[in-house]
Amino acid sequence: MQTALQFGPVFIHLDTLLMGVVQTIQLAVLSILFGTVIGTLGAIGRSFGPRWVSWPIAAYVELIRNTPLLIQLYFVFFSLPMLGLKLSSNSAAILALSIHLGAYATEILRAGVESVPVGQIEAAKSLGLKGYHIIRHVILVPAVRAVYPALSAQFILQLMGTSIVGAIAAEELTAIANNLVMQTFRSFEVYIVIAVIYFVLVQAASLIFAGLSRLLFRWKT
Amino acid sequence: MPNKLKLVLAGLAVALVAMLPAAASAQTVDEIIARGKLIVAVDTTTPPYGFLDADLKPTGFDIEVATKMGEALGVPVEFVTVTSPGRIPSLLTKQVDVVISIFSITAARAIQIDYSIPYAGQSAVVIAPKSTAISSHADLVGKKVGLTRGTGEDGLLTAAAEANPGIEILRFDDYSSLLQAMVSGQIDAMGGGDYGEIYLKKAQNGDDFEQKYVLKTFYFGIGVAKGNDNLRQWLNTWLFTLKMDGTLEALSMKYRNQPLPALPVF
Repeated sequence: MQTALQFGPVFIHLDTLLMGVVQTIQLAVLSILFGTVIGTLGAIGRSFGPRWVSWPIAAYVELIRNTPLLIQLYFVFFSLPMLGLKLSSNSAAILALSIHLGAYATEILRAGVESVPVGQIEAAKSLGLKGYHIIRHVILVPAVRAVYPALSAQFILQLMGTSIVGAIAAEELTAIANNLVMQTFRSFEVYIVIAVIYFVLVQAASLIFAGLSRLLFRWKT
Repeated sequence: MPNKLKLVLAGLAVALVAMLPAAASAQTVDEIIARGKLIVAVDTTTPPYGFLDADLKPTGFDIEVATKMGEALGVPVEFVTVTSPGRIPSLLTKQVDVVISIFSITAARAIQIDYSIPYAGQSAVVIAPKSTAISSHADLVGKKVGLTRGTGEDGLLTAAAEANPGIEILRFDDYSSLLQAMVSGQIDAMGGGDYGEIYLKKAQNGDDFEQKYVLKTFYFGIGVAKGNDNLRQWLNTWLFTLKMDGTLEALSMKYRNQPLPALPVF
């Protein structure tokens, strides 16, 4: 290679990249929140719901888990307008990412829910706990604890998965990096810098999830 | 025994090095002919210059120029598909001999790679539905304007958006996504090539779109690695002959349905 690495032209645009970081975090946090809600409802519905609830959930899970995220993004952004739902790039990205994560979270949480022994639920009933309390304290918390490592790994994948939403013109770190590549023509430098940023983001997220696990699951088994 | 082992390891190392895709490094014309193939970076998402035909084979203005280049050198052409942001890296990393992919000649790009003289040119225009009255940048205020990231239109419309606050720019990674966004109504207007309408017309509501105004005329050169004067000089000579015998004009009529702009040289 004849061109030496020059990070100067990239660091001039560091503020733009940091804006991208903020947008990436927003996309990740919002879609993880919505996705987890979908996943929780999905797992409960699939494990305890009647057939007319559990079968559509199963269909949703299979549909999403067997198609690429990029196609789901394209569908939400390019096809839904034909059906009358026109979302901005960022809303479409959040919707697609949430639906995507929701399917994976449903399966992960369902595994957790099914790991709760029936005896534990019966014990709770015989102690006179109400349905809501059983679901929350006797099923969900132990279930989440059982699958927490898998769930947090999925969240981290989600964080990195936000990098493809530039395909529907949503703004985030990778899209902004691609803009910078075109402005500065410093592709190697830009991609090295954003790789480092993603690495730091993922490490930070791992630390947060580890900390949360200590906070949420303090008691012994 | 250790000597034999060393020999085996050395053999393995040689085999590994031979397997690396280093074959495409800094080509002279002679080296390309000796290797027996020409490696060309093209983009098959940029109709009418590069796209896939009904049999999913690459075709288009650029693809035909690449094929003719192979014919002129007497070697088969191997196509490597790149997106527009991938064009310069493909030359920097020596994965390809030349880039023939609507590669507009700009001074900024010429810092990293070298260009042949232009073989084609086109105007960047703003395209929008007929029902929308647009005749200048000012009319784009308050509208969503789509474009392909890193193209000439990107630079022009980004500057326009800075000068006229209120223009919302949406950058897509490839031209087909951009067309899709226009057809589905996700954007109000788009920056694209002067031929852009032809492709929109294939969509159900394609007749609703028209060219609004010209942003700038671009000239496409064939990109070669920086300092590869041997290949660049041959390209210039060859393109001169194509221009003089009317080949380029015929290609323009075939794929763009309109003549080429005048092609100055440098």
